[in-house]
Amino acid sequence: MARGKRGLGRLVLILGLALGSAGPGATRSEPVVEPLTVLSWGGAYERAQARALFAPFTEATGIPVRVARYDGGLSALRAAVAERDPPWDVLDMTRSQAMAACDEGLLEPLPADIAAPAPDGTPAEEDFIDEAFGPCSLTHSVFATVVAYRTDAFPGRRPTRIADLFDQRRFPGPRALQRTPSVNLEWALLSYGVPRQELYRLLSTRRGLSLALERLAGLEDLRWWEAGSAPPELLIQGEVVMASGYNGRFFDAMVNRDAPIAILWDGQVQEHETWAIPRHAPHPEAARAFIRFATATERQAALTRYIPYGPSRHSAARRVATHADTGLDMRLHIPTHPLNAERAVTKDEAWYARTRERIGDYFRAALFPDDATTTD
Amino acid sequence: MTRADAGDPSHHGARGVVRFLGLVVLGAVIGGLAALAAVTFVAAVLWLNDLLLVSPRGRMMFAHPEWLAVATVLVPAAGGLVVGQLHRAIPERRPHTPADVIAAVQTRRGRLPPKAGALSALSGLVSLGAGASVGQYGPLVHMGASLGSAGARLLRLGRSEDNITIACGVSAAIATAFNAPLAGIVFAHEVVLRHYALRAFAPVAAAALVGHVIATNVLARGALFHVADPALPRPWEFAAFLAIGGVGALVAGAYMRAILGVGRLARRLPVAAPWRPALAGATLGVVALWVPDILGMGQETLRFATIAGAFGSVELVVVLALKLAATALCLGMGFGGGVFSPALVIGTLFGALCGTLVATLTGAQDTFVFYAICGMVAVTAPVIGAPLTSLLIVFELTGSYALTTAALASVTLASPIAAQLFGRSLFDIQLAGRGLDLSSGRGRAVLEDARLADLMSREGVTLRPETPVDEAVVTPGGAGHGEAYVVDATGRYRASVTLADLEVMREEGRGDHPVSGCPRTPRPVLGPDASVWEAMRHLQEVTGEAIAVVDEDDVFLGVVFEATIAQAFLRYSDELRREEHGTG
Repeated sequence: MARGKRGLGRLVLILGLALGSAGPGATRSEPVVEPLTVLSWGGAYERAQARALFAPFTEATGIPVRVARYDGGLSALRAAVAERDPPWDVLDMTRSQAMAACDEGLLEPLPADIAAPAPDGTPAEEDFIDEAFGPCSLTHSVFATVVAYRTDAFPGRRPTRIADLFDQRRFPGPRALQRTPSVNLEWALLSYGVPRQELYRLLSTRRGLSLALERLAGLEDLRWWEAGSAPPELLIQGEVVMASGYNGRFFDAMVNRDAPIAILWDGQVQEHETWAIPRHAPHPEAARAFIRFATATERQAALTRYIPYGPSRHSAARRVATHADTGLDMRLHIPTHPLNAERAVTKDEAWYARTRERIGDYFRAALFPDDATTTD
Repeated sequence: MTRADAGDPSHHGARGVVRFLGLVVLGAVIGGLAALAAVTFVAAVLWLNDLLLVSPRGRMMFAHPEWLAVATVLVPAAGGLVVGQLHRAIPERRPHTPADVIAAVQTRRGRLPPKAGALSALSGLVSLGAGASVGQYGPLVHMGASLGSAGARLLRLGRSEDNITIACGVSAAIATAFNAPLAGIVFAHEVVLRHYALRAFAPVAAAALVGHVIATNVLARGALFHVADPALPRPWEFAAFLAIGGVGALVAGAYMRAILGVGRLARRLPVAAPWRPALAGATLGVVALWVPDILGMGQETLRFATIAGAFGSVELVVVLALKLAATALCLGMGFGGGVFSPALVIGTLFGALCGTLVATLTGAQDTFVFYAICGMVAVTAPVIGAPLTSLLIVFELTGSYALTTAALASVTLASPIAAQLFGRSLFDIQLAGRGLDLSSGRGRAVLEDARLADLMSREGVTLRPETPVDEAVVTPGGAGHGEAYVVDATGRYRASVTLADLEVMREEGRGDHPVSGCPRTPRPVLGPDASVWEAMRHLQEVTGEAIAVVDEDDVFLGVVFEATIAQAFLRYSDELRREEHGTG
């Protein structure tokens, strides 16, 4: 860890220079430092961020971090930017939301040199995974929506393919899926055996869409969930035997609550989670400094000691080690590990950014003909 | 024989090896260029399809349904307008296709014209980009061949090398586009070269390899069709696969006839050729408002056709018929583009239809994909005249031995039946229509392509009809010939007379009569554009020493001696033999 400490020290120095202040000591001596407000997702995810990112940032810069909860939608951001007074400095949002928000002009463009180079000097553009840099956002980690199942539900067999989610003859029992078209449509069409490379091209046809919706409509005993914390609960309580959900939440349930569940990695849908800065943010300078700090190799690797999200830097992915509290090998639990990612789907966010409303309409019309309140 | 056996010394020993290796390196370089061109072409088509609202993805991502409908009609029509204008700059007023490549190689003419090649590629790009129901592999093959021919010309290589570099370009294009190097190699041999020589094989293989490497590294696309561990077919199902082959040959025939038929009808339309593609494009767009499956290459349709239950039987019939009609319309009315991709779609739909029928009758649902693939090869193999290539494409793209053997059952019947009923391939039928018959092999094609004008001699003795026999009888004999040709004052050919007949007249005491009174030897005459093949045919009926060559007004141009024709025949045969059986 000595090496880590030294790296951190250097980082702090860089940050201090970037902020134009005389370093951590100087900042600390100032009487009032306005806190930086980060909008994040709560739960185990936020706890991990607090330990790996927020506390070290405050320690390094003296800037306290305040966390606000994010509901996933753009309406609050839209309203706040229209008022020219958003209460947040940094947003933790999915890339598809970031792209949509950027198109609407709700986000500050990020400077090209926002990310620090890797510890060995590799430039950031080479060290980050493909398409990590957006005009207004920077991918910091990759998370996956996966299917988890109760390990005691199917004696003598276990699901191995995403098609098993829809095979209620071999894998009987209730299911829980998120009440959104995304991910569900992908899995439904994958279950017909289409190659994942062609998924969005085929979902773009009337035929593909109706095949997928038919498959979803054919599921019996289906529960729809909306809050990310719901699927582990439903599985633990035995209300469903298979549920979709975020891999980090399932990991948390397995490790911290000994839940008898396992993850089906086949067909996992990967998404980029990004940092962004809202337009008219109160402290844009500090926000940029925070993003630079939080996306440094050291911090990304540290985050994977608390929550199994794939780092967006190759240099950080190589440093993934064990879980901080249990000593579990985290490499097996991050979505981007080669074993888990073999048949992963990368969510086509450009596609969703342009089709969200229409796809949502089709989804509602096919599965919820009676109400029109489904959010996406 | 001695000439061929002695051979060119540079073809043997160390120098021969160096020459041969040089050819392999050249093949690899041309393969790389053709592969890059193919990758660029494919990417440009995809980009245009997204931009012009042709691809389902582009259409889905476009939010305004009214404008989408307008674009569906306007884009293919506008594409047709552009294509029509492009074709005006090509001497033949039509895009060049793999048929032109085959003709160039089979007649050993080589030397594909670069300007027509570039314009044809552009025409294919615009046609495909604007959503015409045409294929992309035809333009890719022609582009690769043109690049290969240009390479040979640049290095001032001979015709034989020109043919090999053309084949290299072709094999790289197929290897890249399908990401199937073996299929590329076999396609170049089966369709373009039509013979197997080690000398050609190595450069062609090198080109395919380079294409494959480029495809796997640059073109990160999904396989054309993807099959996950299919169930094994039951033994009786092979009978069904055979039957699919038989019926598939008829579907292939209908497809080829439809393309040629629309082409003939189009010529009778009161619309000038440059405007026809626009008309076809607009018609296609209007129909696509109801059935968007017929737009473009139809890769999504092909994919769904391999999935059991994605189409109902009636739907399959409708989409199949419309896709066939749309392709015939687009190609017949003059869009640029290939015949292979639409044939893949039509064949797969046909196979899916068979699979659906079998499933309804027997409940064998788990082998559905076999029927789709069998239908696909049963229709495509006869159209492009390449049963082995079709099989290899299935094998290389699916990696499934079971699927390949099933496809083999279908090809076994499809290709010979279609060849008997319609012709070896659509290309061969088109070439026969242009006067090049490839059904008797390359030996005949070369002789059919060789023009008599090159063999013509002016040494033949001519006589005026009014010349007295006494005077006439001296002239041929003096020049060492046994016959003479009677040509009148206006230069028109009248007859051939032999020295023997003139002698007989003199013996009979009619030495003062004019030559025109001499009995004529019935002798065919040929035009300067007649082929060596035609001359060979006439030689069987001729007992003289030469055949007179006249133009269409009967003006005497010269003669071709029998010996010259025989020499030419031997020379062409020797060249072919060296090319086809040589090793280096």
